[in-house]
Amino acid sequence: MLGEEIKYSEEELVSRLLQKDQQAFSYLYDNYAGALNAVIYRIVEEKELAEDILQEAFIKIWNNFTSYDKSKGRLFTWMVNITKNLSIDTVRSKGYKKQKKILGDENFVINLQDSNIGAERFDTIGLNKQVNNLKPEYKIIINMAYSSGFTQDEISKQLDLPLGTVKTRMRAAILELRKHIQNT
Amino acid sequence: MKIKEIISSGLLELYATGLASEQEKQQVKLWAAQYPEVANELTQIENSLEAYSKSYAIQPDSAVKEKLFLKIKETAIAPVISINSTADNGYVPKKSTSISYWKITAAALLLLLIGSVVLNISLFNTNNNNSSLLASTNQQLQSIADKNKEMEQDMLVVQSKYSMPVFLNGLEAAPDAAAKIFWMKNTGEVFIDATNLPITPKGKNYQLWAFVDGKPVDAGIITSKTGDTYRIQKMKTFGKVEAFAVSLEEVKDIPNTSPQGPVLVMGKM
Repeated sequence: MLGEEIKYSEEELVSRLLQKDQQAFSYLYDNYAGALNAVIYRIVEEKELAEDILQEAFIKIWNNFTSYDKSKGRLFTWMVNITKNLSIDTVRSKGYKKQKKILGDENFVINLQDSNIGAERFDTIGLNKQVNNLKPEYKIIINMAYSSGFTQDEISKQLDLPLGTVKTRMRAAILELRKHIQNT
Repeated sequence: MKIKEIISSGLLELYATGLASEQEKQQVKLWAAQYPEVANELTQIENSLEAYSKSYAIQPDSAVKEKLFLKIKETAIAPVISINSTADNGYVPKKSTSISYWKITAAALLLLLIGSVVLNISLFNTNNNNSSLLASTNQQLQSIADKNKEMEQDMLVVQSKYSMPVFLNGLEAAPDAAAKIFWMKNTGEVFIDATNLPITPKGKNYQLWAFVDGKPVDAGIITSKTGDTYRIQKMKTFGKVEAFAVSLEEVKDIPNTSPQGPVLVMGKM
């Protein structure tokens, strides 16, 4: 891939994207399209629809980049939120009750556990094993929250956890994740 | 809340995963702005989530990127440049890439225009050249046609069943000279073929004489023998004539009424 040698710091990337630098945007896409696509896929579960939404999300990111506020968090967090909201809006406007259907599905938890589709394509990062070693209960809560766009309330109901426990469980999950990543 | 309590509350994780309520979001933002340790912790959380997401990446079809960039280039024609937000972030905006697109487009159009002008001039010149070539060719053709017409007329004279040829032979002054007269029996018209007369010296011309009742009468100046151009020339008309002669005379405004110079050729009917 052309331009793969170039590495931008996040600050540099943001600066260039504000200047509508298409090369920087290409770099952004190459770095995040896969991760964002996975987020969308977990919500819509349709390859082509997911890719449509992905394209729409990147257009939104490009056009509305000036609304990114670095004081509010990392670029990726902002992009995931845009992507997640777009996916959820699409699912709702499409009128299909996929979310509710999944919620009623007893295999739901298993689905989430198995939802490491495409993981093998990211071997270079050397992270898969560490992430896979994450306790299933932690994986599930991260997947639900971070990728599927459920509310705290929905998570507590789905996982049969008291509402107050969601955030402590989440903290524990991410702490463990961080440990795994640091060990990489 | 103390910094450690904030960090261990789990609110930063909720914020990073987008699960925090509006109220919690505002709270986390304030803390992050107030305490560098909180901001740092939040960044760590976000980075770990970013790495986690990347480890589960599903690469989209390569066509998605192509389509995306096509759309971006379309919209690049009308860029939205927000001066406020760039200023807020402390970035000095470079000239927008889309402006350079305009420059490139303008330059390309200018080049096209120049190219077109050059081509036009060249075509115009070629066209002019062709036009003048055509004109000169037409002129040549016309002169050939004219000559042809003259020749045809000459031929008519020669071929006419009424034409009576009279051979004028060289006399002492020019033994090798000769001329031919065609006299029309029906109309009395006289034509001369002066091909075999010598080229006239400068300031002199030939004059034809018709002998009527034993005396020479002016039959006209031979104009067809200037340089080496030649054609059969019509002379004055005589109903009754005994002989013809050609003399070499000085060029005058009024022709002689009798031969003054040497008579070169003569022939009887």
